[in-house]
Amino acid sequence: MDFENQLFWTRQEIYITNIFLPIVIGFLVFCMGLLALFILSFSRQHYRLWRLGKKENRFDQVGKRLRTVLAVTFANSGIGKEVYPGAMHFLIFWGTLLIFLGKIIRVFSFPVGLTNPPQILFLYASFLSEFGGVLTIIGVGLAVIRRYIVKPSRLDNKPERTLIFVWGFLLLITGYFIKGYRMAAVGVPIPSDWFLWAPVSYLVSKFILILTSDPLNELLIWHRALLHAIPASLLLAYFVVSHSPLQHLFLSPINIFFRSLKPKSVLPPLPDLEEAETFGVKEISEFTWKQLLDLEACTACGRCQDVCPAYLSQKPLSPKKMTQNLKEHLWREGPVLLSTLPEKRDPPPIIGTTVSEDELWACTACMACEEVCPVSIEQIVRNMDLRRYLVLMETKFPSGLRLVFKNLMNSQNPWGMGRGLRAEWAKPLGAGILSKGAERGILFWVGCAGSFDNRNMDVAISLVSILKSTGVPSWILGTEEGCCGDPARRTGNEYLFQTLAQANIEVLHKYGVKQIFTMCPHCFHTLKNEYPQFGGEFQVFHYTQLLADLLSKGTLKLTKPINKVITYHDSCYLGRGNQIYSAPRRILDAIPGLKRVEMERHGNRSFCCGAGGGRMWMEENIGTRINHIRTLQAIETKAALVATACPYCLTMLEDGIKEKGQQETLSAFDLSELVEQSIEPSVKESG
Amino acid sequence: MMETSFRPIAILVELVLLMGIIYSLFAGGKLLLFDLGLDPKYSPFMKWVLRIMGLLALIFFVAHLITFYPRISPLSRF
Repeated sequence: MDFENQLFWTRQEIYITNIFLPIVIGFLVFCMGLLALFILSFSRQHYRLWRLGKKENRFDQVGKRLRTVLAVTFANSGIGKEVYPGAMHFLIFWGTLLIFLGKIIRVFSFPVGLTNPPQILFLYASFLSEFGGVLTIIGVGLAVIRRYIVKPSRLDNKPERTLIFVWGFLLLITGYFIKGYRMAAVGVPIPSDWFLWAPVSYLVSKFILILTSDPLNELLIWHRALLHAIPASLLLAYFVVSHSPLQHLFLSPINIFFRSLKPKSVLPPLPDLEEAETFGVKEISEFTWKQLLDLEACTACGRCQDVCPAYLSQKPLSPKKMTQNLKEHLWREGPVLLSTLPEKRDPPPIIGTTVSEDELWACTACMACEEVCPVSIEQIVRNMDLRRYLVLMETKFPSGLRLVFKNLMNSQNPWGMGRGLRAEWAKPLGAGILSKGAERGILFWVGCAGSFDNRNMDVAISLVSILKSTGVPSWILGTEEGCCGDPARRTGNEYLFQTLAQANIEVLHKYGVKQIFTMCPHCFHTLKNEYPQFGGEFQVFHYTQLLADLLSKGTLKLTKPINKVITYHDSCYLGRGNQIYSAPRRILDAIPGLKRVEMERHGNRSFCCGAGGGRMWMEENIGTRINHIRTLQAIETKAALVATACPYCLTMLEDGIKEKGQQETLSAFDLSELVEQSIEPSVKESG
Repeated sequence: MMETSFRPIAILVELVLLMGIIYSLFAGGKLLLFDLGLDPKYSPFMKWVLRIMGLLALIFFVAHLITFYPRISPLSRF
């Protein structure tokens, strides 16, 4: 190293000793105080509020939970589904991490003698910080363009968000300025290779002015260092104490850690139905602690709003706004509750003050909001808990549900058809299907739609015909089958649901049922994921799984071509609820001549038909009809056929096609009907 | 000569940075007070107090920078 370089590094070390070391020591002491403040603030502002909620066990499968937290935190896996915001977040996150990593290494390089002459670790650390700063500036730039120029409707620019951008940007710039001044004021030429390790600061050093003497320049660097260190320390303090959006740095990972590991939209049972005095959620402390954590973890990113069929059809529901409003409600009422003796507490109800009834009933429970939420907020169960209170405690529900509840109670089906008529559709198919007992093969759970709705009876007949052709023995419960209870449960009538579920489980146990396949994804979801809560443990399949399996084994052969273009509509409870996306597509792809095209929203982004969450039984008087939107999306593909594997979806799509006057261009079919059409008649007869 | 013409621009950049820092500290302090329970009815009052304090800071910074801001380009020393 030549003399000038040696002088440069010696002077750098003097600056570090005289200026930066006292600041770093002060900062470390401040950080210890800040840590204590963080613990206190976390306890007072968050933990105490969560403890207001009811108990819920979320400590199972800790390893799995940790792995997901690490994947989401470091790979930004949830956020990356959208390219622009994903890239923006990735750059800010990794940029900031690199800055801190570089800074920590540089701080500890000094006492162990890595700084003069500079060792390779110190040089790399310097580069890491510089590079991290550039990444962060690009990320912040992208965020500013998005928030303040593009302005997507899902984002709202509150002052605290603007503040973070300004504050963070200033810290980055002042950071480069310190280093630039330190290089410029040293009084000897800057070593040329230093440009490689600190390129931005090196460039900054070329554009700054300095004072006339070394003591004055030292004072100048003191100024620069404090202009960076004081705002940085105060930003940390602000982050620790306030309700700033920056708190997502710890709230998001905590919420992801405690996320539900069950399939989506599995509702927990209400315990002690006979004994309990209240049901559902009336006021904020009746949520579980995890539901309260969900509220605080919401970053208001608006992804849920962007995919919500209720919001997109101009209903009064925005999942984001609902969560944000409930968060405000928690912050307002939580401290009041905590400062009042339990017997004197009189918290305001949520419905009517923070959430409107129209907002609540607009939800189709399609799970699209949960699918896109990067921090795993569980909206559906929360909405259903609020519905449970309205229905079971206040007897308040949309008028259409009154008759449905009565019919379910009296006739075990939503249409109020006589129970004795449940197996009428199957009589022409022969006695085999009606013979009962597990030894008869797999149980076909027909569901109310397949049993009573004329259009869906055709689907049930197709399914039986297909199974006959494959020689797979199946049977039905006939008049002993009752509604699975999904319409009651999704509309908050848990009492009715449990009555129906327990009756069905009793019948299934009576016949020793082990395996069931269903025609309806709602029955499938309920039997598979919710009946075990009441002792009903069965192997449950949706028929698409069964047919896909038969196809792969070669038992089912599809030979008759259907020369048409088709699009497939994913049912919410088959897709997002149970991750069945490929089986229906494999079946369609096995039909000769059929050309499958996808709608823009398909797979896990599929758009609800509008019938879920009990909406099938309610009037749709506000905004655009959801099934019209979905029908238009199907029409856009220019397909001649739209297939689905759900009776609700089939009804909604057929209605949509009729109401849009598109019967000539588009026809809706259940997937099983197309399969049946593709089986050679000779095979069907031989079966 | 170069440093003389560059100085006003450098002062302006410096002023923007300083006012940005002042904005961050004041806005952060204000939001923090409301987060900690200060009644939102004081918001307009706070806004005016902070605006006046910001203006005073601006006047101070302008005077300070014009008087003390460096004049020498490091390039000219070598």
